[in-house]
Amino acid sequence: MAEAAIAVRGARRAYDSGELAEVVALDGVDLEVEAGTFVSVIGPSGCGKSTLLRLMAGLEQPDAGTIEICGSTPRAAASQKRLGFVPQRPALLPWLSVAKNVALPGRLNPAATRRRRGERSGAEGPDVHELLRKAGLGDAMDKLPAQLSGGMQQRAAIVRAFALHPDVLLMDEPFSALDEFTREALQEQLLDLWGELGATVVFVTHSISEAVRLSDRVVVMAPRPGRVVDVVDVDLPRPRSQELLRSQEFHDLELTVRDLLRDAFATGGAR
Amino acid sequence: MSGLVKGSGRSAPTGADVHRARRRRRLGVLRPAYWAPLVVMVVVLLLLWTWGAHALPYLLPPLSEIGEVLADDPAYFLRNAGVTLGEAVVGLLIGFVAAFVLAVLVSELPVARRAIMPVAVVLNVTPLVAVAPALVVAFGFGPGPKLVVTALICFFPILINTAAGLRSVPAEVLQVFRTVDASRLEVLRHVRVPTALPYVFAALKIVFPLSVVGAVVAEMSASGSDDGLGTVIQVASSMNRLPVIWAAIAVLALMGSLLLLLVTVVERRVLHWHASTHKENR
Repeated sequence: MAEAAIAVRGARRAYDSGELAEVVALDGVDLEVEAGTFVSVIGPSGCGKSTLLRLMAGLEQPDAGTIEICGSTPRAAASQKRLGFVPQRPALLPWLSVAKNVALPGRLNPAATRRRRGERSGAEGPDVHELLRKAGLGDAMDKLPAQLSGGMQQRAAIVRAFALHPDVLLMDEPFSALDEFTREALQEQLLDLWGELGATVVFVTHSISEAVRLSDRVVVMAPRPGRVVDVVDVDLPRPRSQELLRSQEFHDLELTVRDLLRDAFATGGAR
Repeated sequence: MSGLVKGSGRSAPTGADVHRARRRRRLGVLRPAYWAPLVVMVVVLLLLWTWGAHALPYLLPPLSEIGEVLADDPAYFLRNAGVTLGEAVVGLLIGFVAAFVLAVLVSELPVARRAIMPVAVVLNVTPLVAVAPALVVAFGFGPGPKLVVTALICFFPILINTAAGLRSVPAEVLQVFRTVDASRLEVLRHVRVPTALPYVFAALKIVFPLSVVGAVVAEMSASGSDDGLGTVIQVASSMNRLPVIWAAIAVLALMGSLLLLLVTVVERRVLHWHASTHKENR
């Protein structure tokens, strides 16, 4: 088995709610993600999938257990500029043009950026402008975010996350606010960028077809307490054509995930 | 003339269209619907004044007399207006710098917030008109107390608004910047301060006219000091020279309006990206 880019061991996270009660968002979560794979995390709301992502991003600390990103802590991975994060909303800075928004993370903490570039020297990837053109934002580079549609803004947010050439890209339901057509176009573009730049992707979603379509593996979670119930391998060849998406194989995988989710919901509700 | 762009179902504006639209926007100011309401209002006010001056000759001077006073010695009013304006602007600058620095402290350090905010609130509820004479005793009749009063009166709105603005960054934005290891200083500079700018300008719009109030109040408390429109009013009222008082008031009103206009123009430039400057919100 290839080296694990992300290793979560026995992670627990609980939030205080009121005087004595606490909500256990995550309990006993073990998860290993191989380097370079695309993994989706799916589950009903309250199953802790976003919490898991925030732990991986180093935005929150676990109450128990450990999280390793490329062999170090999430905070250390962040300071080495190995992380990319795409939240649910684009979170672009409204006063900067698209190109400047995308370039900003590279300008912050210049010492770390230079070290990171040094590590990757030889494999110098495309620069910001090239990435934007590839993502179909060539004409939008000098516009302000407010002048773009929601889909274009989210596309810019994804390019911003890729611009640092991160080892690990963490995405928190990035397409959930978009309409169906825009979402499909962005899924394809995401896969293109991922194919070219390579990164370990953890993609939180609540769409079954999106999870199966994009991923190498689908992690199914259940609520109360948040936990991993199963991991489904998606052994479909890439690139995944329209025919493949209509094939029986694809539907069977969707059904498998759906059944797991139904069980997860039932057991979660019973407790 | 509009050209239809093939396949897009939408007509693309030509250079001539853009030109015409721009001219239409500029000429909009010249249409009666734009200026007539204001003109009618001003005429009504002037008529009311004239009637009032006629009915109560000891309370309101006729407009013609105010005009005469201004026309007789415009240099006198200009010089005193310059003094008041200088005090107002310098005092505001001092207040702004102090409030901005403290706002950054307050928003970054909870300890600083707990220490500073209660004091700032007490300072805010203390009537500055009452403080001004004490400051004159302490700092004398020079520009000192005027700058202090002006700075104090401007301080609180800037502190509160800027602190609120610095903390209004959406959670997602902060998450993105934390995962690329931006330092606190970088987040402050690249994210928090620009996010706070609309709040800062809202405060400036309150504070620019207030700065004139501060300067005039301080001048009036230090009567006997030689310059400034507040002093002019003080001296004129002791000699019962109504037209001079009203002339000075008119100059002050004009000064405040010009300051407000200045802030608004700068705001539109700086905040062109912000929704508050867009047409739909005006």
